[in-house]
Amino acid sequence: MNGTYFLSLLIFSPLLGMILLAFVPKTQERTVKLLGFLSTLPPLLLSLFAFWQYLRGYRLEHLAEKHDWVRFTDFPFLTESTYLVRYELNIDGFSLVMIVLTSLLTTLAAAASIHIKKEWKGYFQLFLLLEIGMLGVFAAGNMILFFIFLEMTLVPMFFLVGKWGGFDRERAAYSYLLYNGLGSAILLIVILVLFARTGTSNLELLNEMLHNPVAQAQLIAPLSEELRLWLFVALFIAFGIKLPIVPFHRWMLRVHVEAPPSIVMLHAGVLLKIGAYGLIRFGIGLFPDQFRHFAFWIAVLGVINLLYGAFLAFVQEEFKMVLAYSSVSHMGIILIGLGALNEAGIQGAIFQAVSHGLIAAFLFLLVSILYERTSTTTIDRLGGLAKVMPLTAGCLLAGAMASLGLPGMSGFISEFTAFLGLFQTKPVVAAIGTLGIIMTAVYMLRAVLNMTFGPSMRNDVQALDMSTIEAIPVFILLVLIVSVGVYPYMLAKPLQAAIEMMMNGLGG
Amino acid sequence: MMEIAWIVPLFPLFSFFFLLAVGKKMKETSAYVGILMTLLSFLLSLAVLFDRLGGSTYKAEHVWLTIGSVKLTAGFAVTALNAWMLVVVSLVSFLVHIYSKGYMHGDERFSVFYAYLGLFTFAMLGLVLSPNLLQTYVFWELVGLGSFLLIGFYFYKEEAKAAAKKAFIMTRIGDVGFFIGMILLFWQVGSFAYDDIFRAAEDGTLSQTMVTLTAILIFIGAVGKSGQFPLHTWLPDAMEGPTPVSALIHAATMVAAGVYLVAALFPLYEASETAMLTVAVVGGFTALFAATIGLVQTDIKRVLAYSTVSQLGYMMLALGSGSYVAGIFHLTTHAFFKALLFLAAGSVIHAVHTQDIEKMGGLWRKMPLTGPLFLIGTLAISGVPLFSGFFSKDEILVAAWTHGHVALFWIAVVTAFFTAFYMFRLFFLVFGGEKRHDEKDVHEAPAVMTLPMIVLAVLAVAAGYVHTPWFGTFLGDWLTDGAYAHETAPGWIMAVATAVSLLGIFLAWLMYGKRSLARDWLSSRVPYTYSLLWNKYYIDELYMRTVGYAATAISLLLSYIDRFVVEGIARLIAATVHTSASLGSRMQNGQVQMYGAVTFVGLALLVVILAFTGGYL
Repeated sequence: MNGTYFLSLLIFSPLLGMILLAFVPKTQERTVKLLGFLSTLPPLLLSLFAFWQYLRGYRLEHLAEKHDWVRFTDFPFLTESTYLVRYELNIDGFSLVMIVLTSLLTTLAAAASIHIKKEWKGYFQLFLLLEIGMLGVFAAGNMILFFIFLEMTLVPMFFLVGKWGGFDRERAAYSYLLYNGLGSAILLIVILVLFARTGTSNLELLNEMLHNPVAQAQLIAPLSEELRLWLFVALFIAFGIKLPIVPFHRWMLRVHVEAPPSIVMLHAGVLLKIGAYGLIRFGIGLFPDQFRHFAFWIAVLGVINLLYGAFLAFVQEEFKMVLAYSSVSHMGIILIGLGALNEAGIQGAIFQAVSHGLIAAFLFLLVSILYERTSTTTIDRLGGLAKVMPLTAGCLLAGAMASLGLPGMSGFISEFTAFLGLFQTKPVVAAIGTLGIIMTAVYMLRAVLNMTFGPSMRNDVQALDMSTIEAIPVFILLVLIVSVGVYPYMLAKPLQAAIEMMMNGLGG
Repeated sequence: MMEIAWIVPLFPLFSFFFLLAVGKKMKETSAYVGILMTLLSFLLSLAVLFDRLGGSTYKAEHVWLTIGSVKLTAGFAVTALNAWMLVVVSLVSFLVHIYSKGYMHGDERFSVFYAYLGLFTFAMLGLVLSPNLLQTYVFWELVGLGSFLLIGFYFYKEEAKAAAKKAFIMTRIGDVGFFIGMILLFWQVGSFAYDDIFRAAEDGTLSQTMVTLTAILIFIGAVGKSGQFPLHTWLPDAMEGPTPVSALIHAATMVAAGVYLVAALFPLYEASETAMLTVAVVGGFTALFAATIGLVQTDIKRVLAYSTVSQLGYMMLALGSGSYVAGIFHLTTHAFFKALLFLAAGSVIHAVHTQDIEKMGGLWRKMPLTGPLFLIGTLAISGVPLFSGFFSKDEILVAAWTHGHVALFWIAVVTAFFTAFYMFRLFFLVFGGEKRHDEKDVHEAPAVMTLPMIVLAVLAVAAGYVHTPWFGTFLGDWLTDGAYAHETAPGWIMAVATAVSLLGIFLAWLMYGKRSLARDWLSSRVPYTYSLLWNKYYIDELYMRTVGYAATAISLLLSYIDRFVVEGIARLIAATVHTSASLGSRMQNGQVQMYGAVTFVGLALLVVILAFTGGYL
């Protein structure tokens, strides 16, 4: 793998599928679905290949790509590279893990898309476009490119929710667009201020310019401490909407409930993680001092998220809402880890991003299977599912266990590592946060047991258990969740170098 | 053999996966897979034990997770305690596996039951082998999962669902204490390994407050798992599970995990007087508290459940009184005689199809094997001389007395009296008197069920002789590496213990055997006390009305805030945008004067802003 176009190839490989799909008549359901699914395989294979090579010791720096793209201004007194936006891609262990997660979940979500009922062609076109955006976000080498890819996820997602969603889909799509648009606008301001002041949006250069005193002297215009503080706050809000941080979470509840389950797999599995990725990459990466300054409050926000989501999930009548609030709650663990500001905490936060991606996708995959048969996910209207659908019920229980952090599954590793981190620096906050561990068990068991255990409520339904085709993605996810839980070193190893870099930035 | 001790838990794990995958097709032949696998576990455990008898501790570790420069390891250790526990656990599990073949016969989910048994046994054996706290915690939770699945085995029953949920959540509350204690220890010691923790506790790296704090936090975990007051309420409800499960999990092994944890961390506890006292007081209180509830219950399994809670209290009392050996010794004898009692109870339930002891009676003749076996168990738990429970209970009483816990000593004595009374009450009501049930065809259980009981009965008698003041304290010497302190116990303690248990038996005989004392003697004289006991001190109700309602109230409150305040603010912002937009659009009315005015105002605003900020934003 010495081709310098590897990353571009990886990111844009779904384009091939989009083009091919254009030639398939839209009435041919099977072909469209099959082609749509197959189109997600190239990025998956490429990313797995890269991951494998990385584990074998390949240096990811070799994959960096750089091409001049747009130059604003043409003043002779500025150097060539000032105000130049390059098309540049590069990845480290952290981004690579996120890319693998993205391409994997996309493939599985494509498999779960067999339950999509209409306009398959348009659906898969948008679906693949969404994948390009998601992959690009994690590989972007500068903030402007990051922003472009981020917006690229926004548009297809809007239509996917608004067109293929449930009953109240349009409202959900608009609130998705509004909240995220607002977040993007704030993010854009931050990016532009940084760009205007420094003349670059490249992450490494920015990092250098913001922190190296020598480089700081060469800035077009210096950044005062106060401005940095405000930029950080703005950045935090922008990604906080995405994550989401309470009280910016209302939009994602609607998306969770209204969007088709296959899309929610990506939404909860990857899109929310972009918030976490942004916080870690830009928040810690560019503003370590500010991050340190606010660390206590970030941890407190994390605990609030954790408990707020947990308590709300406890009284929801709709299983999807339980999962939505559970996502809010679990994103709190990411903040808890970040607020800890030590290696364990950051590792825990990244673990949680990956682990929640797997678990949320797993649970929504089951929701899609369930909804297909019962036409409802209202908890009270289900019950005793273990009798008619033992396999699905068993998997739901496994998902609940993973979600509540049962050791041996990925959820425990992230929860444990994040709390391990926070207990070192802020033991009191952490101790309050552990209440969330109990509450998660309470709401998860309440919801899942009421659906699967107890007397059977639905004798009318000819509910069949999941078919083999449906079971394959379910088991792939389950195996991954358990593997990470049993042997977390396999996830810790690729992240090690990236986390060390961040710790250096934070100053130990 | 010790190098391959890690294989011991893998046999039942294999059984779990194998039966989940193909068990459905195997139907009841699944039992043989489970039995064979636990037999292999047991044999290997025995080999490990013999190896350990002559050797020293063996330990092996591998990197499990790295956090920066910190390496967390996973591995296994064969210490004296571990090797001993391996044998106890795998033996009881093996016997329960055999017994279940008869008991679960005809159940639709027969193979699933065996799969779950395998998972549980795996977790318990893994717990016992763990060389560090983190790994212990991992298996600790998995044990909880196994228990949860087995309690909820009859998932279609509302009670089983509630019981499974309750068991998981109540123990999880305790687990959080364990979790916090473990992490705090880690940051103080820099390692999860038991050895490092003990070293730190010894050389003073750990401050006294930290030792006490972490020891008590971890003890909260033990309280949850071992059904100690105030987290005991799940254990009696756990009787919703099939009876073999009650024997294996809720009598012999899992509930003993809490005791095991305190024992495994004993040097940490010893370093703090306060922690030791807490353990002793909680244990002693629970022993008496549960025994009083056991006096009046009428469900055969619930009586046994409360006796388990009570006996676990004894073990905690022993540990808190500084006698590591007495705790483990009683854990062992209790594992055998309580498993025996539960299995015998299962045999009775199997025959009469009820758990209500008021509806039994007269079974002594009908069940010529179960009756005597149950009697042996009852004699053992009552502490009648020459039975195993006598020796281990005596050891605990001696420990409490010599450690200076006079009040706790007398509490333990009173508990011994109650225990003898309610156990024989149970015995006479079930086996004595005349028949009160409507089952016509009562017959003895099949050999596959009675055989394991016979083995346990032998052990319920014989296990006491591994550690007696008369023939030698083999277990104690070995567990403490020869450093066992031979306390010269006052002889009257043994006499008192014997007297109270015989007195309890005599009283039970008077009331339920001979009936020369009216049965409602107690309930008619102290009706309020009686109903307090009958309702288990209203603890469940108390929790429901406080914690339960509070959680719901907070949730509902937050849900209103979420729906109206948070959403309201978002709506307000949207409305503001909407209004300002319509205001803006009204300005575009086509009149040049208007446009001019807007332009001018805008320019003025910009100038003002720039003037104030000095052109520097």
